[in-house]
Amino acid sequence: MRFHVVKRDNWPLWKRALAYLAAVVAALVIGAVILLAIGVDPLDYYYQLFTMGTVGNKIAYKTYMNYIKEFLPLAITSVALSLAFKMRFWNIGGEGQFIMGSISAGYIALKFGASLPVWLTLVLMCVVAMLVAGIYGLIAGFLKVKFGTNETLMTLMMNYIALYVLYFIGETKADWNLFLQETSSRPVFVNFSDTVAFPTIKIGAKFELNICFILALIIGIIIFIYLKHTKQGYEVSVIGDSAGTAKYAGMKVNRIVLRTVFLSASLIGLAAAFKVGTAGVLSTAITDDVGWTGIIVAWLAQLNTGMIFIVAALICVLQHGSTVAAATYAQVDSSFANMLQGIILFLVLAADFFIRFRIVRVKKGE
Amino acid sequence: MAEQYAIEMRGITKTFGSTVANKNVDLAVKNGEILALLGENGSGKTTLMNMLSGIYKPDSGSIFVDGKEVTIDSPEDAKRLGIGMVHQHFKLVDVFSAADNIWMGKEKPGFALSKKRYKEIDEITKKFGFELDPEKKVYNMAVSEKQTLEIIKVLYYGAKIIILDEPTAVLTVQEIERLFGVLRRMKEEGHAIIIITHKLNEVMDISDRVAIMRKGEYITTVNTAETSEQELTEWMVGRKVDLNIDRPVVETTRPLLEVRDLTINNDEGATAIDNVSFYIRGGEILGVAGIAGCGQKELCEAIAGLRPIVSGQMIHKGDNIVGLTPKAILEKGISMSFIPEDRLGMGLAPSMSIIDNMLLKKYRDSKGPFVDRKTGREDAERVIKELEVVTPSAETPVRRLSGGNVQKVLLGREIKAGPNVIVTAYPVRGLDINSSYTIYDILNKQKTEGVGILFVGEDLDVMLALCDKIMVLCHGKVMGVVHAHKTNKEELGLMMTGTLDLSEKYADKPAGFARDTLFEDGNKKEEQE
Amino acid sequence: MDKLGVITSFIHNIIVFNIPLLYGTVGEIVVEKSGSLNLGVEGTMAVGAIFGYIFGCYANSLGVGILVAFLAGAIFGLLFAALTVSFQANQNITGLTLTTFGLGIYFFVGNSVKSTGWPVMADYENVKEGFADIDIPLLSDIPLIGRGIFSHNLLVYLGIIIAVAVWWYLKHTSLGLRLRAIGENPAAADSVGINVNRMKYIHICLGCGIMGIGGYYMGLNMSGSFNSSCWINGYGWIAVALVIFANWSPAVAIFGTFVFGFFNTLRVSGTSIAAAFPETLGWLADIPAQMYQALPFIITAVVLVVTSIRNKRGSSGLPAALGLNYFREDR
Repeated sequence: MRFHVVKRDNWPLWKRALAYLAAVVAALVIGAVILLAIGVDPLDYYYQLFTMGTVGNKIAYKTYMNYIKEFLPLAITSVALSLAFKMRFWNIGGEGQFIMGSISAGYIALKFGASLPVWLTLVLMCVVAMLVAGIYGLIAGFLKVKFGTNETLMTLMMNYIALYVLYFIGETKADWNLFLQETSSRPVFVNFSDTVAFPTIKIGAKFELNICFILALIIGIIIFIYLKHTKQGYEVSVIGDSAGTAKYAGMKVNRIVLRTVFLSASLIGLAAAFKVGTAGVLSTAITDDVGWTGIIVAWLAQLNTGMIFIVAALICVLQHGSTVAAATYAQVDSSFANMLQGIILFLVLAADFFIRFRIVRVKKGE
Repeated sequence: MAEQYAIEMRGITKTFGSTVANKNVDLAVKNGEILALLGENGSGKTTLMNMLSGIYKPDSGSIFVDGKEVTIDSPEDAKRLGIGMVHQHFKLVDVFSAADNIWMGKEKPGFALSKKRYKEIDEITKKFGFELDPEKKVYNMAVSEKQTLEIIKVLYYGAKIIILDEPTAVLTVQEIERLFGVLRRMKEEGHAIIIITHKLNEVMDISDRVAIMRKGEYITTVNTAETSEQELTEWMVGRKVDLNIDRPVVETTRPLLEVRDLTINNDEGATAIDNVSFYIRGGEILGVAGIAGCGQKELCEAIAGLRPIVSGQMIHKGDNIVGLTPKAILEKGISMSFIPEDRLGMGLAPSMSIIDNMLLKKYRDSKGPFVDRKTGREDAERVIKELEVVTPSAETPVRRLSGGNVQKVLLGREIKAGPNVIVTAYPVRGLDINSSYTIYDILNKQKTEGVGILFVGEDLDVMLALCDKIMVLCHGKVMGVVHAHKTNKEELGLMMTGTLDLSEKYADKPAGFARDTLFEDGNKKEEQE
Repeated sequence: MDKLGVITSFIHNIIVFNIPLLYGTVGEIVVEKSGSLNLGVEGTMAVGAIFGYIFGCYANSLGVGILVAFLAGAIFGLLFAALTVSFQANQNITGLTLTTFGLGIYFFVGNSVKSTGWPVMADYENVKEGFADIDIPLLSDIPLIGRGIFSHNLLVYLGIIIAVAVWWYLKHTSLGLRLRAIGENPAAADSVGINVNRMKYIHICLGCGIMGIGGYYMGLNMSGSFNSSCWINGYGWIAVALVIFANWSPAVAIFGTFVFGFFNTLRVSGTSIAAAFPETLGWLADIPAQMYQALPFIITAVVLVVTSIRNKRGSSGLPAALGLNYFREDR
């Protein structure tokens, strides 16, 4: 019996959805086996995880608020990355761009937070963070266009350069360094949440909805429209699909690449500004790995803006829920969520194979 | 039946998606024989051979080596069975030396790489009668050297059955002679050789038998000694068919596009179009005939502004368009629709919908930041209706359409843009009869409206019936421009294969030199100013 | 401490703390030479570290530790190969996931073991002694540099041996030639009968196994003290950078390890050197530590840009087909 792998043209949506669902379920089953092995009731654990422990919890609103805080940067970053990916520009520099955005947003908040009106400071934070992150991303874009420098490796390096700039700021006490508290002898980031913070909208008695949530949804809708309905978005799709065709249609490919990379990176900067303006303080772990996770989210969602929000929400449930569940099951900490996430992704990638290819039995001639 | 074949293929069928590349093909070669595999481009020769070399697997049919049925699942299997193929597109590692390219596939190379390998390869090279520095890196090699390396490679692996896919296309006359010498010697030593070529004189020169394929189907195999170039040409292009295609008589206008002394290089840096001149008037269809790979693609790309030219001029309505951007050329009303072999390479964005592909050249025209999909949809629906495109909807990605429908979408869009010059290459490739006629009607309609059309085609019957004039290219050179109603397939076939050169016939009146072009005037004006 | 002693220990530290980098780099070179870009070095080293350490202690044998670390890495490689070679999955995504997954396993296993009693390295004589420095006779007696260069633990020597062996393998063996052919042009390799998929599987596993040993080494270097930050601590990512810096050559990687290691060690020992030579090297104390940390990445970025500007064929070791999956019937 001989088998032969052939590319598959088209599978109906429901079959694809089913394949992915099967992958996720299989991953959860594997997770359950591990849980059983260490003596944890998998059903209860998953229940805790997926409800994030909010059922019957008096301070559930706090969980929701924290959840949204985690969700926002990830969702915006993923959307931003999807812009570049759509053009087949492998921007894996989300971390670095996020960090650069955070530093500049933090700088504005500390420098002008006391003197300017809060709303103006916040707007400035967003604008400057977008500019700085955008330019930081543009470096790799420029090198790619000009010299053909591999953007995957370049943005990877730039992530770490940015990271150590952040460490430098966070660990160096000096007169110029307005990021650190003057009073403390050890380097501690200044907390400016009292002076500068994004406003919240009170819903119900206790739940406070961060305005950034609404902004993020608006951004999502704008990017959705941008990609689907604008000329610029159209150009991005054509270049991603076939650069040869784009040239033939008279598009200025290099310029479009630079524009899109800038947009992608500056949106990540905006995500950073939201994060900094919500947290009210920098930290060396300010990114929460959204630059990495965002790549996975964008890819899993197949660069579909709506799906990105859903996938990001689910991954956040996994991440946030696991910290909550860890409170009940001390032996299962957030590392289990990382493992589970890995298993899910591997199986989804495998499922993807069966969506793109089919295996046929080779027929024999007479 | 006692006759033992070195290799025999029976009833081979191979499809790619909805395209049938080979349909129930039979082929057999004996030891000590050279078989020429003849056929036009797209007739499935290379696909068939790739099933012997293990690149593709047949959907059905069987292969026999020395009378025993075999399965070839990989190039490894093919090599083990003693089948070696010299591919048309070199399969070489650029950064390796010649010796290493050969050494990497050696059966028992020993664990350590020693410097001796250069000497061994050098000796073998000389033994086969070739000249090649074994330490030379492939990226420093000329095209012919790469070809030589490929041949040495296969010979070195000791293949009993050797397949050569258009090996002579890039070789000089002397090199061809040397190659043929080697092939004859291999033949005497009992090897079975299959050679794909378009050059009939070579077929007559080297082969013992000729197998002919047309449009994926096996036609026949004849003994070379018992046939003639005329007969082979007829088999290759098919018997004269009365196609009943209209050729409306239209009053032609001044030349819209004129090309003078144009020379273009291909991707490898070799000359693809060699000092070519011609013109297209409004209201006429100029056919371009030629064996595939004779510079048609490069010519089309140059006219569209996608490929830099080496020298020459391209004049559109009196303006030189050399060096203009693709966008500027589009805006002048020159439309290009090139159907490459994979159909989706140029001119279409495969993952995008028909609607989006309709907008490719005109999305900028609408006002505001948004893409005007309403017009796109109208265009798409009109094209779908008028050209009878079979598609679930206008939103369907072009990639999912069958080849013929892809072409209709492409051509439909080009015509919608209202060009004054249409450059179209292989617009009916893979189309069924009815769709083909739809396309001819479209082109004729454009012609009556005064559009000048450059029609790069394959099917000579179609070209004879549809075109007003036919320019024949052979390896980048013009073999002549003939009036379609004054010529016949045999003549065209002989010109295509380089046997007949009519370019001298009109030496006093150079082919394609337009006396009434506006360009001369334009130049004078500039000089006066 | 005497002044010369500072230099000796500086040299010693460059080597002892940075050889894990060499393992990661050499492993990644093997993987990348097969045309696969594995961004999961960090995670692969992490699993090698945790399993190697725990099993090494339980068996009270350094050899078992090395073997288990290698196997753990190789199994990760198998996962990567299965997904990218057989299942044609995107290499970037698979690699990143491998890192998440690997770090997840690292902490999950580590925490689980810790809850039942963490094996302390000092309690396992054979592991401890196996990891002790071995003097190379005569050479280690050379003044100033002798004890710095020629007195190291077994894994240092093993790392150098592996690097040299891989260099030789890639450059001077027939299998190495075939591997390079696959990374450059898998279709060409396939056409001469090289089994592309099998070669990829083998070398991805082999490379990841080497990374695993590097991870184990890092754990031992930290004396196996398990806390909230991972032993690998970003070395996997530096290894990815070093591959580029080394232009995909294991021999250059040895040199690169010492260049990167030089800055890395200067970060730690800069102040003590400045104190020992206040007049000439006193300024060292003023250079921020983060500068040293960022330098490997800055240098690599510069190298990357310079090579792409030069763009001279044959001069770059970057495998032409890096990051692209091979499917024979693609036309």
